[in-house]
Formats: sequence, C-alpha cells, structure tokens
Amino acid sequence: MRNTRLWFLQLVTGALIAILLGIHMVMMHLDTILGFFGIDAVEMHSWESMIDRAGQGIWASLYIALLAFVLYHALNGLRNIILELAPSVRTERIITRTIMVFGIVVFIWGAYVPIALLAS
Amino acid sequence: MEKRQPKENSLGVKGWVWAGNYKLERYLYLIHRVTGLGILFFLLIHLLMATVFRIQGQDIWEATMVLLHNPWFKIGEYLVCVAFVYHALNGLRLILQELGFVLGQPTPPIYPYKDSLRKKRPWTIVMLIVIVLLSLVFFYDFIAGGW
Repeated sequence: MRNTRLWFLQLVTGALIAILLGIHMVMMHLDTILGFFGIDAVEMHSWESMIDRAGQGIWASLYIALLAFVLYHALNGLRNIILELAPSVRTERIITRTIMVFGIVVFIWGAYVPIALLAS
Repeated sequence: MEKRQPKENSLGVKGWVWAGNYKLERYLYLIHRVTGLGILFFLLIHLLMATVFRIQGQDIWEATMVLLHNPWFKIGEYLVCVAFVYHALNGLRLILQELGFVLGQPTPPIYPYKDSLRKKRPWTIVMLIVIVLLSLVFFYDFIAGGW
C-alpha cells in the first residue's frame, strides 16, 4: 500500500511539474518566440528582472512549490530505480532514509534563498 | 510483513537495460529513466547557481551569467531542454496509459489479434512527433536568440 501511495504521488507531482516547469522553460528559453506573440520576456536572466521576480510572493511560492515537487519526483524515481536491484529489507530502509534526508537538506537549502530574497 | 519479490527473480544491474523481448515503448521507458537522472544531476547544479551565486549580489550573479553564456554551457542547456521535453511528454503518455485513458475499448480475441501495445502505438508515434517538433522550436530559439 505504501509503495502504491508513493507511486500515485509520483504521477501527481509529474503532472504538476510538467505545468510549472513548462512555464519556467518557456519564460527562460523561448524569449525570441514569445516576442513574436508580443510578450516581452527578454532579459529574463538580468539581475534587475531576477530581483523583481524574487520580490514577488507569488513567484517565490511557485518556485518553492516547484522545488518540493521536483525533489519528491526525482528522488522517488531514483529510489525506484535502485530498489529494482531487490535489496534486503534493511538495505532498502537505509536507502529510503538516506534519500529522504538528502531531499530534506536540499529543500531547506533551496527554499532558504527565495525566502531570504523576499524578506530583504 | 510486506511481501517481497523473490531474490531469484531479480535481474540485477543488467535488468536496468535488458529484461527480454523489448519493444519500442520499453526503450522509451529506458530513455525516460536516463533523462530523469540527467535532469536530477542538472537540478543540483542549477540549485547551486540559484542559491549560492544569487545570494552573493549583483556582481557575482552577472559574472555567473557571463560564464553560463559560454557556447558549451548553451549546448548543455539545450540538451537539458530536450531531455525535459522528452521526459514530460513521455511521462504524460505513461500517466494517461496507467490511468487507462488511451488503451481503447476491450475487443474479443478474434484472429488477427490486436493487443494493447499495438492499440496504443499511434499515441506513442504522435508523442514522438511532438517531441521532435518542440525540440526544433527550442533549437530555433537557442540559435535565433544568439548562443
């Protein structure tokens, strides 16, 4: 049951990432094409543009949510690949806990900066 | 006690790339995993840029951006875009199939049989065409936007 729930979350986070990361990719990498449609997305990588977005709560929230979804999806996927080697129950527990701790540390590290920039 | 797969059924590391009579979809699944691991690796580097270099102020940020506009980084960035497009679209196909949306109506087993793999094959082909088209769109923007 536990693995079924984890897999269902894998599907849900996958769909959410496709939407959020799709927006991120279009904004960051399709600026020329967006320009054809009258959307000014030029200089998204400039300091001014980045700081402007970092000061808006909606962007900070979206990026933190995206980070959480991506970390879950990627690390659960990695866990599934490793568990195909059919390790013992003890090894499986060690793998799961190591991946969880890694994910939590990276999330705290990644979420700290948007919050710090928002507060500054 | 949780029921576990018998150890003698495990294919070990070999099972990651070869588990018997592979068809197109199984290779797509393999690429799905490879692109997923590649994107995870990129995510960690990307986070480094978005945290350590961003928090240190404008000068460090702009120096990082100059470094990232190196053609080799741009090629890498384009490959990440293609990997994302592939992983996202193949993932959506897998979600739709897992939830039973594109499998078609059940049919009686009358010869010549049409198994579920053949029934869903057209969706796979459409997905591959969309992936190629989107990859070309990204390629155009990378070239037109200047490397």
